Amino acid sequence: MKSTKKLWLIFGPVIIAAVLVWGILLLPLNHRRVTNTDLKRSAVSLSTNVYHGTMLKQAAFSKNYVPFMGSSELLRMDPLHPSVLAAKYHRSYQPFLLGSAGSQSLNHFFALQGVHRQLQGKKIVFIISPQWFTKHGQTPDAFGYFYSPLQAIDWLLTAKDSASTRYAANRLLSMPSGQSSSVMTNALQKVADGQEISHSEQLFLEYRRRMLRNEDALFSKIKLDRHWERVKKGERQLPTKDSNQILTTTAIQLAQKHTSNNDLGIDNHFYAQRLRGSRINALRGSQKHFDYRYSPEYSDLELLLSEFKQMHTNVLFVIPPINQKWSRYTGLSLPMLKQTASKLKYQLNSQGFNHILDMTSDSRDDYMMEDTIHLGWLGWLKMDEAVKPFLTQPQAQPHYHLKSYFYTKNWQQALPQKEGSH
Amino acid sequence: MTDAEKIYEILKDLTDEDLSEKGDTNLFETGLLDSMATVQLLLEIQTELNVDVPVSEFERSEWETPNKIIAKVQTLK
Amino acid sequence: MINLQPYSNPTYFAIILSGLLPVIIGLYYGKRLKIYESLISLVFLIFTFGGNHWHQGIALIGYTIFQVLLTIGYAHYRQQKKNQTSVFVTMIVLSIIPLAIVKLTPLFPANHGFNLGFLGISYLTFKTVQVLMELRDGTIKEISASQYLHFLLFFPTISSGPIDRYRRFLKDYENPPARDVYLQNINKAVFYLFQGFLYKYIIGYYLGTRLLPVVTHLALGQRLAFGGTGFSWYLLAYMYVYSLYLFFDFAGYSLFAISISYFMGIQTPQNFNKPFASHNIKEFWNRWHMTLSFWFRDFIFMRFTFWIMKHRWLKNRVRISQLAYLVNFLIMGFWHGVTWYYIVYGLFHAGAIIINDYWLRFKKKHQDKIPHNRFTEYFAIFLTFNVVCFSFLIFSGFLDKLWF
Repeated sequence: MKSTKKLWLIFGPVIIAAVLVWGILLLPLNHRRVTNTDLKRSAVSLSTNVYHGTMLKQAAFSKNYVPFMGSSELLRMDPLHPSVLAAKYHRSYQPFLLGSAGSQSLNHFFALQGVHRQLQGKKIVFIISPQWFTKHGQTPDAFGYFYSPLQAIDWLLTAKDSASTRYAANRLLSMPSGQSSSVMTNALQKVADGQEISHSEQLFLEYRRRMLRNEDALFSKIKLDRHWERVKKGERQLPTKDSNQILTTTAIQLAQKHTSNNDLGIDNHFYAQRLRGSRINALRGSQKHFDYRYSPEYSDLELLLSEFKQMHTNVLFVIPPINQKWSRYTGLSLPMLKQTASKLKYQLNSQGFNHILDMTSDSRDDYMMEDTIHLGWLGWLKMDEAVKPFLTQPQAQPHYHLKSYFYTKNWQQALPQKEGSH
Repeated sequence: MTDAEKIYEILKDLTDEDLSEKGDTNLFETGLLDSMATVQLLLEIQTELNVDVPVSEFERSEWETPNKIIAKVQTLK
Repeated sequence: MINLQPYSNPTYFAIILSGLLPVIIGLYYGKRLKIYESLISLVFLIFTFGGNHWHQGIALIGYTIFQVLLTIGYAHYRQQKKNQTSVFVTMIVLSIIPLAIVKLTPLFPANHGFNLGFLGISYLTFKTVQVLMELRDGTIKEISASQYLHFLLFFPTISSGPIDRYRRFLKDYENPPARDVYLQNINKAVFYLFQGFLYKYIIGYYLGTRLLPVVTHLALGQRLAFGGTGFSWYLLAYMYVYSLYLFFDFAGYSLFAISISYFMGIQTPQNFNKPFASHNIKEFWNRWHMTLSFWFRDFIFMRFTFWIMKHRWLKNRVRISQLAYLVNFLIMGFWHGVTWYYIVYGLFHAGAIIINDYWLRFKKKHQDKIPHNRFTEYFAIFLTFNVVCFSFLIFSGFLDKLWF
């Protein structure tokens, strides 16, 4: 065989493969059809593909889907879960769940990139877990798990210099995710310093965005049906009438049935899986020193608030309670939790975010929680009492006035005084 | 005793096998010689045959059969 | 300024192969374009160690100058037929000192800001020590600064190996292959490249980025299992996922380095040979991270045993080998880093290989009584795989997270 022919045999397939892959990734694919079934499923899938992407979210928020942002509690899909209630009673809104265990304010900030247009002037429900507000705040590992380069690029290409923008760039730079590509890192550094990104960086980022959008269009529909069946099953267990009174009875019956193997009001399955036997003993008194009052997370939250303001969205904030039987066992301080809630409310109210449902006083009541710190049955129902009117009735246009003080270490380490002494 | 005989003698000591009829057996692939036994082989060659073999000189592919060892020792003499 | 981390994304390969195109064409016509090759190597080194990694670049330059002076100096000394052991030992110690400082720095957290380290320093140290030892043995007689630099800074393998040998490298470098041999080389290079894509970007990605965080989370959720030790089924899952991830990620990386070397007409040695099909730990070390374990075999284990036997400090050969394994794997543990889990990992493998040796001797003695069939072979592979995976669980440092 001649050498040139051999060369073709070696490199021919490689060249063809490279051209094909490149071609597929650079074709304008992002207007792929999204069906209503896709939306129904992706709204409850809690899949990272959906969280990382923009295509499905754009389609959903153009319709009557409302972002329900939060973390691990979103997975507690008992029949009183907001998604089940909205589906069963054909409410005028349908929740689109964003977030699972480990996703906090900073991830949510990026998760809203690429959907500004669709969310402009709309409503959002946001469940803030006090558990996010630890001494070190967002862990880099969890951030990396929910981080999406597509959203980061969407943000970089539209960001205008401001205190929030610089803060976001610095936060991303402090995470390994922000160091994973050198062009990104350099661009972030410029934005953090208040400079413009260069023309060549912009071109490169646009080229990357085209590829990432195509990946999103090609792959984000994978494994969408994970939780859809649970929603359908939940619907079958609900009464036909959307009445708070009947639903309360249903919730109590279900909760009694599912918390029978322990005295702590914890779901049987959760208890058997995580706490059975000697495991629970080690947790006695283990959370005495937990403190959610001082945390960098307060500034990450501020970043998210600036995003809400930019989109003129009206947001209902929910601060969930903690299972009091459980917190007694672990020694978690309830006064500390109340102070955490007060600090959060101060940050929200003082800037014009006035729709807040603080459930921390409901910690004592039975069946509020599905397990230790996650809303369930009556808790979901109580939340629904606020969510339903908020989303189905017209709300006054909010007026937000943000203060950069909330980005400072001082605020992270402060407790609000009665008169707001800063 | 010739050098070859001496080498087979050493190998018999190390492997418990008489290899004088099987001069092309691969000593490493068959597991007859491990690193430890190899070091012993080099030392024995040094004392019995007065050939100094530094460990660096030991390139496995050049020492993998009894015949190759005999040839190698001849070149080093 | 652009910074490119080796083999980190597909763009890197596009850039590297276009940069190497003249080299490839040159080799196709039987010529090594030495000047161009040196220049392009320099450019890639700047991409790797420049930009926001510039402090690593400075460290690399300082390190390289130091090692070149050391080696050339020692070669000069040896050419005068002088060969004092004290001089040799001093040279080795000096050569290892930068690595030792880098490895010990994390133990003194107060010292942050001060860092001599750069990506690949441990792999370069293997090369420098190897050359010094061969100069001592007289198997390397002369050394030119330019050839030595090419060997040391050969960019496809600079960050994580495979660890080549000086004489072997030079033979390839100075003798461009004939056309049909080179065509076979690049045929293999393309194959290794795609095998690497499969290993690192598909299998390794799935295991490391998709599966590992999930099992990590689940296993950490079981901290209190089994009487508070954290031993749970999820930990077992973590152990297997991590072990497979480690293999596919690292083997993929090695394949990339080998592939690029082959494009450049350098037949860098293989690093992995189906390690999980080993029948015992000894065989495992002949198949896993081979260039590292062969380096340790040739430059630690064999020299150590040679030295002990020559001086007759220990008579019992079994004891000598056991001691040598201990020293060998302990050094390997420390090389990975000065943490309890790397050191325990080293001791664990020393223990495993010592037990393995007992068994092999026992088996040899009772050959007629011990059955050997397909089932016993599968059992041996299964057992070895699990022992190895357990050692990787130690190595992963996950137990440190779980317990402390």
